[in-house]
Amino acid sequence: MPRIDELSDAQLVTSIARYSEVALAEAYRRHGGAVFGLAKRVLNNPTDAEDVTQEIFLRLWNQPDRFDAARGSLRSFLLAQAHGRAVDAVRSSSSRRAREARDAVRTADAPYDMQREVWDLAVADQVSGAMGELPEEERRAIELAYFDGHTYREVAQLLDQPEGTVKSRIRNGMRRMRAALADAGVRGVDA
Amino acid sequence: MSHEEASDLLGAYALDAVDGDECTELEQHLETCPRCRAELDSLREVAGAMGNSVEPLPEGLWSQIAVRLPERQEDEEAPPMPQLAPAGRSPFRPAADGPTRRRRIMVSTIGTIAVAAAAVAIVLGIGLVRADNRVSNLQAGQAAPSSTVAAALHAPGHRLITLDSSSHAEEAQVVVLPSGQGYLVSSTLPSLDKGRTYQLWAIEGNQPISLGLLGGSPSQAGFTMAGSTRPSHLSITAEPAGGSVFPTGPIIANGTV
Repeated sequence: MPRIDELSDAQLVTSIARYSEVALAEAYRRHGGAVFGLAKRVLNNPTDAEDVTQEIFLRLWNQPDRFDAARGSLRSFLLAQAHGRAVDAVRSSSSRRAREARDAVRTADAPYDMQREVWDLAVADQVSGAMGELPEEERRAIELAYFDGHTYREVAQLLDQPEGTVKSRIRNGMRRMRAALADAGVRGVDA
Repeated sequence: MSHEEASDLLGAYALDAVDGDECTELEQHLETCPRCRAELDSLREVAGAMGNSVEPLPEGLWSQIAVRLPERQEDEEAPPMPQLAPAGRSPFRPAADGPTRRRRIMVSTIGTIAVAAAAVAIVLGIGLVRADNRVSNLQAGQAAPSSTVAAALHAPGHRLITLDSSSHAEEAQVVVLPSGQGYLVSSTLPSLDKGRTYQLWAIEGNQPISLGLLGGSPSQAGFTMAGSTRPSHLSITAEPAGGSVFPTGPIIANGTV
């Protein structure tokens, strides 16, 4: 029997489906930091980020079949779940309006720091490079949506741009990112 | 929603930036459009790559997750000692148990690293971790009555291992038989606060392998080192209740095998 840390992510999920708590612990060890990191970035609050992290791994435990290895990596799956949950929390926040104004300024002014403590520095470099290559308006639209949890319609308001324009910029920027990452050999992004 | 409209929205959707009716309509389209699903999957990978900045995990967060897995009732009694079973199967399932996941989770948890400290304190057997499977496969935790320990101390080929603190004070002694079966012989480890537990590790080539939880005030415990385990040291750390996959606390006691 292979060691737990030698199992692939897909094998881990299979073990989780068979109630192996150790497999869940290993999934947490591999991906918990990324889940927590993204939640914290979106929520701007470590305590809320802990709640989201807990929820994401409990959900993986209770509904492991929601992960389909044929559709992407476990890390991306967990990050998508964490992001969705974090965004829900942000959108239900009562201090939303104040936050919007603050975030818009911060996002517009903030130095590009995508690369904090990234587990895979090689990929982080590629991501950072690809983001840096994006046209400024595409990058800002993506960051406001992804890291600050705004809908694309809200992003349009914040940037005072037509909704259709922002929708297209996000789409084009994402496709540009995908092409750049695929060129760089980052797995999973090629359609 | 037309395919073109849906396709235009996928970038925003991959960022969770579509809401309301538009989101519902897009999701309906996705149900029926494999092309859009494939496009979405690849864009989600892109989003994942962008969001992939790892933060150090807060201490104790895993324990909070682990203790929520069984969803124990407040007044539930501590579970019986862990039974060892191969990973991937429900370690033991009382016949009366329904097939619901929740019940099985509870049972499963009893036999794994997430045994709550309160439970562990009365547990006589502790978890086995096979070298080939890390912190898994809690198997038949053995009670270790003093007569058993005494017999082990007289068994041929036994090894008595003393675990000392950094100031060379003796903290604990364990006896290990040639079979890999081991028992805690004695311990002067101070009682831990509620919510903490001692955890025993085999150190093999700088790699810690959990041998199981000793509880907050260890007295009797049995453990097993699988045949392939050839540790150079045994170590004890204090960990959050439920134990850790890898040691998070400093080594409190250490002994050469």
